[in-house]
Formats: sequence, structure tokens, C-alpha cells
Amino acid sequence: MNFDALTIVYILEIVVGGLLVGVGVHFVPVGGAPAAMAQATGVGTGTVQLAAGSGLTGLLAAGLMMSVTDNIWPILASGAVGAMIMMDTTMMAGGWIYAYAVGAPFASAKVNYDPITGYSQPPYVAPGTVGQGIPTVCYVSGTIGAFMGGLGGAMIYYPLMMTNHNPSLSALFAIGIFLVNAVLASWNIQGTIEGFHDPKFKRWPKAFRSCLVATVILALVAVTITGGA
Amino acid sequence: MTVGGGAGGAPSAIDAKKLRIYGIGGALVGIYLAAILNSVLGTDIFSILAAAGAVAAAVMGANAVRRVCGYGIGTGVPSIGMLALGMGIVGASFGLSTAEQLGVSMAGVIIALVYAMIFGYIVGAIANKVMGFNIPIMEEGLTDLSGAGAMAIIGWSYAISGSLAYADMVAKVFNTGYLAIVFICGGLAILHPFNANLGPDEKQDRTLVNGLMVGSLAVVAVGLCSLATLSTTAAIITIVIGAAAWYYFYVWYYRLVKRDAAAVVGTGLLPPSAL
Repeated sequence: MNFDALTIVYILEIVVGGLLVGVGVHFVPVGGAPAAMAQATGVGTGTVQLAAGSGLTGLLAAGLMMSVTDNIWPILASGAVGAMIMMDTTMMAGGWIYAYAVGAPFASAKVNYDPITGYSQPPYVAPGTVGQGIPTVCYVSGTIGAFMGGLGGAMIYYPLMMTNHNPSLSALFAIGIFLVNAVLASWNIQGTIEGFHDPKFKRWPKAFRSCLVATVILALVAVTITGGA
Repeated sequence: MTVGGGAGGAPSAIDAKKLRIYGIGGALVGIYLAAILNSVLGTDIFSILAAAGAVAAAVMGANAVRRVCGYGIGTGVPSIGMLALGMGIVGASFGLSTAEQLGVSMAGVIIALVYAMIFGYIVGAIANKVMGFNIPIMEEGLTDLSGAGAMAIIGWSYAISGSLAYADMVAKVFNTGYLAIVFICGGLAILHPFNANLGPDEKQDRTLVNGLMVGSLAVVAVGLCSLATLSTTAAIITIVIGAAAWYYFYVWYYRLVKRDAAAVVGTGLLPPSAL
């Protein structure tokens, strides 16, 4: 394996992809078990599960596009759009359950006014909870996060495919890199976050530095892997 | 939550260093013994040994999860299991691919283990220094975890491919998609034990026996996969031994659950004045 200019470009693409995943996780409104009980704002599952779900959908979409073209732009776009569709449908279905099954109004406890709609939030926060449901700002934030995650996943997948030409190997390797970055980011936000309006969002530079170090080490070995046979 | 892994409290506590030797040693012995016996005798029925080695690695990983998560990482236990397998899959494919390019496919396991452990140490250092976890055993725990992930992936993948050659691994495990099964079953064997047993009365032996039980189930799963890739005899051997081991550890685990549950003291009903 010789490190020519193209290889360096591939390494950089993987690093940028990893960083997009790491920062994108911070946009996703994730509430863990409390949100599953409608006691916190966001989707009721763990950060990693949600990030992995949107990232894998992005990978599938990118892989499908890659089977018909080698042009990087449609591949990145379909990865990003695939992840956004997955995240949006999840948040929408979650919203239906919060609204029609649990019967909770969507309210954020982190801000007094929803930054997007300007609606007042505190009157709707149920006592003893830290908000519930997925308010408009969280929905928008989650869509941005999924865009970054899907774009990042596709950006990891593309250079891997260009070096080893093996879709299944590239996809699984990309999942490995994706999970490392998603977990590092989720450790940074300590489990739950509402989106870009959450005070915890200011921690993203820490995740950026962590994911940078981790992804560089992964990217250096990723480009040496062959497709086998 | 047991602080500091809580290994001191349990009567039959096994030291982490000892478990690391058992885990890594067991995995290396299992995988290499399977590879050597299979190639020398020209058969594939010894693939079960690699699967058993992977179970040893998974138990080491389960102990590392237990120690790290005992401090509380704020995101739930499954995230650390996914991290272990994420690091492991990168290490495993890098090790096997590099060994193939160097022309020594037998060295792939060692390269994978070394890379995975170094990477795990770095991630642990990042978590402590950059993110400020300040968990004293974070580096050590993630080193173990990453190594366990890589060994589990290689061991169980070997039980499907029946060969350490990278081309065989890619053709029989990656391209068929069976790696996804190894990924999830291996992840469960590492993350599930502590996730299922955590709490103030968590005991190391109960958690680790649960790990052996889930690991045996993963052996059954890879045995079913190997029906399509190996000889029927080899696959049946893997499935039967995996199922027998699962039953044995299930009974053992059930006994430990009963032992620990018997120590729970009833607090009685609320006093009449409170009703």
C-alpha cells in the first residue's frame, strides 16, 4: 500500500465523515429511558441506537446509489437524505405515540420559548418531568443531525469502497467507524440531549477533538484494507 | 451500582488480571488450535474450538464492561458493548487483511489483537483526558474491551469460515452478511451480562456465568450460519456443543440467581397508619 495523493484524500474523507457523525449526534433529540416514559424530551431510546439507525439507513441509501454511479455527490446526497428520512419517520411516529397514546403535549424544559415557533414551553411541561414529546425545535434539530450523520456515514463508505471495492466489507467497516464515533459523542453528551438549543450542545468541541483523534487512527488503517480474493 | 467494579465484595471474585489472561489466552489458544488442527488434519470439525475461544474473550469483555460501567458512564450499558464491537471489527479486518498482504495469514489474529488493544487504550485515554470521565480504570477497561471485541469477532467468524485466510473470511463471513450475526450476538455476549445483572446486589460470578450463557447462544447462532459454509458435521458439532454449553450455563446461572435472590429480605407491607 503506497500512500499517494489519492489515498490521503480518502483518509481525509473518512476523518471528515467521522467528525460529521460525532458532531451530528449532538443534534439528535435523544431521551433514553426517561423519554420512553414521557418524562424527558426526545426519542425514547439511546443515542447510539438512534445514531446507528440513521447512519445505517444512510449507508444503505449510499450503497444503493453507489451501485449505479461512482460520482461522489449523488452518493453523499442519498446517504444524507436516507438518514434524514429514517430519523424524521422515527420522530414522527414517536410524536404520534406521545400525542395520541400517551396524551402528552410536546414541551421542552430547556428553553422558555421554542426557538423555531416562539411558543411558550413552561406551562406545558408536566410537573416532575423535564419536558416530554418532540417539540418543533427538536424535530428540526434531529433532521439536521440525521443529515450530518448520513452524510458522514456515506463519506466513510465512499473512500472505503474506492479502496477495497467490496460493498459488504466497506459497509461493515464503516459501521465500525460509525459506532466508535457515535459512542464517543454520546459519552460526551452523557445520555440525553434535546438538540442545538440544549445547554449540553456547547460541549461539542470535546467530541470534535475526541472523534478527530479516534477517526485518524481508524482512517490510517482503513485505507490499507483490501477487498479479499 | 457497585462502585469501582465492586470485585472486592463478591466472595468468589476473580481478579481482572487473571480474567484477562484466561480471556486472551483462551481466545488465542482456541483460534490457533482450531486453525492448526483443521489444516493439519484437513478437516473443519475443529472450528468449534475457535468459537469456544471467542466465548472466553467475550467473558473477559463482560468483566471489563462490568468494571467500567460500575462507575456509571451516563449512557447505558449497550453503548459500550457497541463500542467494543465497533473497535473489534476494525481491528479484526485490519489484522487479517494486513497478515494476508504480508503473506502470513496465521499472524492476523495477533496483529488484530495488538491493534485493537492499542486503539482501545487510546479511546480510554481520550474518554478520561478530553471528556473528563476520570474513571481510573477507563484505559485498562477499554483496552480489555477492544481486545475482547476483536477476538470475539475473529473467533466466531472462524467458526463460520473454517479458515484464517482473509479471502475465505471475506467470502464466507463478510460477503454473506453473517458478520452482522456475529456482530450482534457477540455484542450481546459482551454487553448483556452486566446490563441484565446490574444493581446493588450485582455479583461477579453471576454476571460472568450469564456471559458464558449468552456466549454459548452465540456459538449456536454461528453454528447455524456455518451450515451454509462448512461441512454439515462441523456445523452440527458446533450447534450441539453450543446448545449443551448453553443448557449447562443456564442451569448454573439459574442456581446463582436463586442464591442471590434468597438474600433479598422482605420489608413487609406498609404499616396500617400509612394506608
